[in-house]
Amino acid sequence: MTTIDIELLSVSKQFGANRIVDDISLAIPKGKFVSILGPSGCGKTTTLNMIAGFEAPSSGQIRIRGRDQEGVPPEARKIGLVFQNYALFPHMTVAQNVGFGLKMQGRPREEIADGVSRALKSVHLEGFEDRYPKELSGGQQQRVAVARAIAPSPSVLLLDEPLSNLDLKLREAMRVELKEIQEDLGMTFIYVTHDQEEAMAMSDRIIVMQGGVVAQEGAPADIYGSPRTSFVADFIGKSNILPASAEPGADRNLKVSLGAGKAVLTAARGDDVAPDNVRFCCIRPEAVRLAEAAGALDEPANRLTGTVQKVVNLGAYIEAWMLVDGGITLKSMIRSTRLEKLSAGCRVDLAIAHSAVQLLEQ
Amino acid sequence: MNRLLTYLFRTALAAILAFITLPLVVVVAASFSPTSAVTFLPSEWTLQWYAALWDSRWLDPFLLSVELAVIVSLASGLLGVLGAYSVAYAKCPGHTAIMALLLSPMSVPQIVKGVAVVLFLSSIGLYDLLGTPGLVMAHIILTLPYVVRMAATAMFGFDKRLDRAARILGASVTQRIRYVLLPLIRSGLFSGMTFAFIISFNNIPLSVFLVRPGQTTLPITVINHLEYSLDPVLAAVNVASLLFILGAIILFEKIGGFSAQFHGGSK
Repeated sequence: MTTIDIELLSVSKQFGANRIVDDISLAIPKGKFVSILGPSGCGKTTTLNMIAGFEAPSSGQIRIRGRDQEGVPPEARKIGLVFQNYALFPHMTVAQNVGFGLKMQGRPREEIADGVSRALKSVHLEGFEDRYPKELSGGQQQRVAVARAIAPSPSVLLLDEPLSNLDLKLREAMRVELKEIQEDLGMTFIYVTHDQEEAMAMSDRIIVMQGGVVAQEGAPADIYGSPRTSFVADFIGKSNILPASAEPGADRNLKVSLGAGKAVLTAARGDDVAPDNVRFCCIRPEAVRLAEAAGALDEPANRLTGTVQKVVNLGAYIEAWMLVDGGITLKSMIRSTRLEKLSAGCRVDLAIAHSAVQLLEQ
Repeated sequence: MNRLLTYLFRTALAAILAFITLPLVVVVAASFSPTSAVTFLPSEWTLQWYAALWDSRWLDPFLLSVELAVIVSLASGLLGVLGAYSVAYAKCPGHTAIMALLLSPMSVPQIVKGVAVVLFLSSIGLYDLLGTPGLVMAHIILTLPYVVRMAATAMFGFDKRLDRAARILGASVTQRIRYVLLPLIRSGLFSGMTFAFIISFNNIPLSVFLVRPGQTTLPITVINHLEYSLDPVLAAVNVASLLFILGAIILFEKIGGFSAQFHGGSK
């Protein structure tokens, strides 16, 4: 049985007439890495601030470890928070920064020193105790911020876009490390980000927010594999999103009309979408395959022919835009070993598995 | 053209510096003059005027001025930081108006302030407060704006995310003020207090209304002396005051570290 660490029950937040967070309910299981993902202005930071206690919900209830938090100030919530700009105390050494939480709790000196060295060890910053924040690189400051937040051993750690100030290489390395830290400590991490790659890389669960509501919630693979709306499909990973309509077809499949009916694809029937409600169709670029490579595909597929319009070499992959019969353009992601076969203007045979044609209601 | 401008600026700067320092050079030189007339570059040198300072006639006013400056800078520091906290940090209702009010003594002529304090004290029947208590009060009114100004500037520049960080780490409001806010505005606060100290120590226009016989500050004693004679003892007093103020500034800077920004620690 999983216990729930943090629970939001119909939480809303209004600033004036603006509804920033609109009736969201979440249950965040203990010991999991959960990301709240969404574009800026989707309400994710406000949600985080409400969990931390810096803002009070306009309505609804927030529970931490089963307890209603109404009227509980941030300093009494016993949760950790890593800030986007780190917010390290500039007048304190690394050790003083990391030991701050324990010191505020009035712990004895030895216990503070102990906690500091343990926290610094888990972020691999031993030996930096006497440095000041200004003497550290961005990545090191980030580690200090994490160490400071975990030193008092909160059960929940909130992270507010903590990697967005780092360069790409460091960001990718820190992703792996943050995940390791989380697993080592068994702490609940709530990670707020607008970077879908980050969320995909680290999370056990992703909560996608849009316009103050939860657009979709689930394991990263589920959200990527079966986005529920065109927004989610577009926001998570790359995809071809096309206006579509559907009707029942043969073999319990659906017949999907694209591009004003000039192109027709077959989609494996999803349980959750009624044919009448289908508005969009989403096809991931990696599912648009060259027919010869898809020869071994052991599932039924749509066969199409098209003309290559544009090819972009991304190193391991190439991205190609194909104009297929019926006048629609599909983006395709293909292993670059096949680069020599592709150039603008050449004709290709394509295969798209029935199960890769996803139908969306909105 | 650029070169010309550079030379022009350098000359102007040198002129300003000369204008500031040359009178001091004259005073210092005069304080060693053996004749009782103040002369620049005396032919002989003597320390007799400094010896003459070691007399209750000068020592008592000096001690009163020091006492005053210490009390005033501490009190202004305390009141100033409280005022700046509610106005610039907590942004209490009407904070802009209150800020203007706190700074207003700066724009009132000191003579007017002096008369006002005397009239006020006598009209409420506390004429007896003239002398040291009245001086303390008047000097606090005079110096408070400087401290508020400096402390408020420091608080405006304070990154409130640090307060949030301390808060989520469990720090109560008093802990946050003590461990995060105060250390970070310390340099601003101490430079304000240094101003308060110097202003109080040197003040004449306000003090002149409030001193009493036997409770006279050093600058007022100098003025009184000047009415009768212009002799090198005054130069000696000035040089001694100058050294004292310099010592005080160095001490404040040692405690407050206001010249050092947080450029990486080593403190």
